[in-house]
Amino acid sequence: MTRYALTSDPSVSVEVVSASLACCTLELQAALNSGALIQVSEVGSGPSVIVIAGTVTDALVPSVLELIHSFPDTKVMSFGACATSGGPYWDSPPVSKGIDQFVQVAAYVAGCPPRPDAFIQAIQELSANRAR
Amino acid sequence: MPKSSTWEKVEPADWRSTIEELRDRGFIFFDFLTGVDQENVDGNNACEVVAHLATKDLSDSHFISTQVSGELPSITDLIPAAQWYERECTEMFGIKFIGGSTKPLLRHENLGRPPLRKSTVLAARVLTPWPGGAEPEIKEDGSKVGNASRRRQRPPGVPENWLKQ
Amino acid sequence: MKHSFIALIEDKCTSCMLCVRECPAWCIHLDSHTVDVTEEGARRPKKVNVLDSFEIDYSLCMYCGVCIDVCPFDALAWDEHRALVTNNREDMLLGIEELGPSGSS
Repeated sequence: MTRYALTSDPSVSVEVVSASLACCTLELQAALNSGALIQVSEVGSGPSVIVIAGTVTDALVPSVLELIHSFPDTKVMSFGACATSGGPYWDSPPVSKGIDQFVQVAAYVAGCPPRPDAFIQAIQELSANRAR
Repeated sequence: MPKSSTWEKVEPADWRSTIEELRDRGFIFFDFLTGVDQENVDGNNACEVVAHLATKDLSDSHFISTQVSGELPSITDLIPAAQWYERECTEMFGIKFIGGSTKPLLRHENLGRPPLRKSTVLAARVLTPWPGGAEPEIKEDGSKVGNASRRRQRPPGVPENWLKQ
Repeated sequence: MKHSFIALIEDKCTSCMLCVRECPAWCIHLDSHTVDVTEEGARRPKKVNVLDSFEIDYSLCMYCGVCIDVCPFDALAWDEHRALVTNNREDMLLGIEELGPSGSS
């Protein structure tokens, strides 16, 4: 896992692991490399987040679950329409209609794909929730 | 893009000889081979198979198409690069290429109907209420509010009475 | 022009249902009814559609913009970016209030 802090407010940081499954990955990577986030090496107090970025198919569900369970005490972010509901592929038989069928999702991010700043906003909200 | 392109439609019996001749004439760049479902046009499980070959410098290209009901001779002995395209065509359109490889490419074998045929219905679309079925006075679930009696439209990909088959 | 959010300009909507039907993701839901309106001097009342509810399910929306292109009354428009981050999926179903263009009260 890599910890990222907001360049504008380094007290807000999250550890990020991503399931980079499809096109949403590109926007996630754009966010991580955008300059709005900096990689930090010190152990921070912000939450750990697993970002499911892209279409999940039923065949892939065991692998996604294994990834999530191998990082206990992490929050799951459903990044983009496919992870949230199946997105444009909702009617396709192999596609899972939303990862919240099998995991608890802490943050849903709308978009197809979401813009990088949507990811920034999502981690700000996840950090804020933690603080409460 | 090629500077010029020719389209040619042939009978299935001439499929191999036409492609072999094109290849020997210098159309050595094999671009793709794919299918076009013609079931709604010509019935009888009809499917058009289209191949695209070009010259090495891409200045000229040739589209060859033929229409089949389910089988076509393979061209992989003439153009080995066609193998993956034929296998994809088999699992997406259900066309058998005689003399070609029957190894699946992307899908599990026997998983169900070929996905790219129009006759393969997505059950989710049939069973999910279509928001477009609503009208002023008619709700999405079909219940009427007022006196409206217009016939409900169907969304794309949902055949009539599919569930009653 | 920012293609970041699809907004509804409520007064322009006539409930014609075109956006609902053309949406490839089936993510627009529209409810309406008709009323009779008698205009002065008219021999008989005319039927007018009244929009009851308009919702876009942003958990499905793929931001293709076909709804915007197809609306004959320009009641849908691209709008400034609004990151939509929620902690449950139902909150992504936005109604007329939440779909108002930015800059509107």
